[in-house]
Amino acid sequence: MKLILTGLLAGLLTATAAKADEMAFTSWGGTTQEAQTKSWAAPFEASSGIKVLQDGPTDYGKLKAMVDAGNVTWDVVDVEMDFAIKAAKDGLLEPIDYAVVPKADLDPRFSNEHAVGSFYYSFVLAWNKGTVTGEPTGWADMFDTKKFPGKRTFYKWSAPGVIEIALLADGVPADKLYPLDLDRAFKKLDTIKSDIVWWGGGAESQQLIASGEAAFGQLWNGRVFALQQDGTDVGVAWNQNLTAADVLVVPKGAKNKDSAMKFLAAATSPTGQAKFAEASGYAPINTKAKAEMPADAVKALPDAHVDGQINLDMNYWAKHRDEIATRWYAWQTK
Amino acid sequence: MQGNSLRRSSVAGLPAGSGSALPALLLVGLFFIVPVVALLLRSVTDPEPGLQNYAALFGSGTYVRVFLNTFLVASVVTAVTILVAFPVAWMLAIMPPALGSIVFGIIILSMWTNLLTRTYAWMVLLQRTGVINRTLMGLGIIHEPLPLINNLAGVTIGMVYIMLPFMILPLVGTLRAIDPMTLRAAALCGASPFEAFRRILLPLSLPGIAAGGLMVFVMSLGYFVTPALLGGTSNMMLAEMIAQTVQSLLNWGLGSAAAFVLLVVTMALYAIQLRLVGAKRAGGGI
Repeated sequence: MKLILTGLLAGLLTATAAKADEMAFTSWGGTTQEAQTKSWAAPFEASSGIKVLQDGPTDYGKLKAMVDAGNVTWDVVDVEMDFAIKAAKDGLLEPIDYAVVPKADLDPRFSNEHAVGSFYYSFVLAWNKGTVTGEPTGWADMFDTKKFPGKRTFYKWSAPGVIEIALLADGVPADKLYPLDLDRAFKKLDTIKSDIVWWGGGAESQQLIASGEAAFGQLWNGRVFALQQDGTDVGVAWNQNLTAADVLVVPKGAKNKDSAMKFLAAATSPTGQAKFAEASGYAPINTKAKAEMPADAVKALPDAHVDGQINLDMNYWAKHRDEIATRWYAWQTK
Repeated sequence: MQGNSLRRSSVAGLPAGSGSALPALLLVGLFFIVPVVALLLRSVTDPEPGLQNYAALFGSGTYVRVFLNTFLVASVVTAVTILVAFPVAWMLAIMPPALGSIVFGIIILSMWTNLLTRTYAWMVLLQRTGVINRTLMGLGIIHEPLPLINNLAGVTIGMVYIMLPFMILPLVGTLRAIDPMTLRAAALCGASPFEAFRRILLPLSLPGIAAGGLMVFVMSLGYFVTPALLGGTSNMMLAEMIAQTVQSLLNWGLGSAAAFVLLVVTMALYAIQLRLVGAKRAGGGI
């Protein structure tokens, strides 16, 4: 018993002692975090001597709990932009130190005082070529069960995406999406409610399409990219692809703030962004990054499909998230 | 044997007034009472003092629907689990011990396998393009895939499978304690097998059924992973709703209120059960 205790104590002591040149990075797991580890953490460790511990998946409740309790164990966290906007307002985030993180080449759409872009993605329409005859071209086809029979899969949670898709399918022009007409969106969603299978995470969305369980789906482009790399016969419609960013934030009271800022500088550098984009199929937020990428990889990015591309309005969502969520779950559980 | 050892480990079984109860009481205080009080406090103080979280909870059609659905799912799962577990438990009770311990091992092994893995396995089996539907269609028994997943059927199948050991273990204990001679006596007196089951075996095994049933019901009420993956949104369970409220919407007051109501209802059910079956019997298998 005594031996075990001494051992534990020794372990704790070394852990605290080593803290000085360590930091914790938290992201969503899966292929995305693997790419972040390889493209950002590994080279950063080599150049700075700071060890980057990986944790995850990102959990907003946990982040808030850490800040509230004054015991923050995460230093850099990959979150969705609308959450970052709201969290900054609630005082959960440290401001980004732009003296350390060079700002000049960052796409201004995806960075603000408390968050710096991680990558940006598109929601695209994907389908299993083995199950679907014909070629869907836009969100309207997702709602046309006569022309395209079969189950369709959508993101389960109240988040930017599905409401916009329903409105676009109903004929709302892209520049008239906001403020969102919820009544109209839910009425449109009612028409295919029994044909919807929901996915709660990226791996689930891939599984549903790959197995043909759902014929069509609203998927993150990186997940489709990974499916295609695995040799699955998946079609993609980029028409009306909906873009939004993930951002990197530093929780208020993070213990390794200085290391965190250096890490952010490395992650958002042209090289870090180029490597990550090549590995994941998500777009870089550093405008210099594409110059460092092979031409093939650039073609797979949402950047190659700016025609008909629509930006999801994260400021609108940050402001109205609760009210939309109430309607969303009421509709879903009915 | 399993049933008995489980029975002895219940807190109620500790000798009254003995000093050895102190650590147990401390643990209960630290890990149960303190968090519950914190939960209650948060539900009436976050974001501001008052009962607005409870008003929002009971005023929200969504939460009420999810509550009712949670109890419906837990009831269905408990009933089906009892039906499936009983024959298995009986078989285990009358099996030769050597063979019995092998079957027991298989049941326990399934309990130790990762929950997520088992749930994903069910997804693969139950899908429209899954093993079960493909086999049935291949054999020409059905022409359209059966809707086995993303609905109540999927949740029930997945959860019953996971809950089975918790029902079988207390039942086996009870069944083993029943003297087989009583059944033989019934047969000698002219009772049909069904009659012997209904009038001898079933009444004598009720404590085991009650203990296992309560455990399964209570565990089902708070279940998360399996219903989230195998169910659809129209049969969302409370745990998933609370997780969403707390993790994504960061509405901790409302989430705490929902969790507290669930706890109170569960405790009330437990109290009713104690009344009906008697403290000793209900607590027996847990």
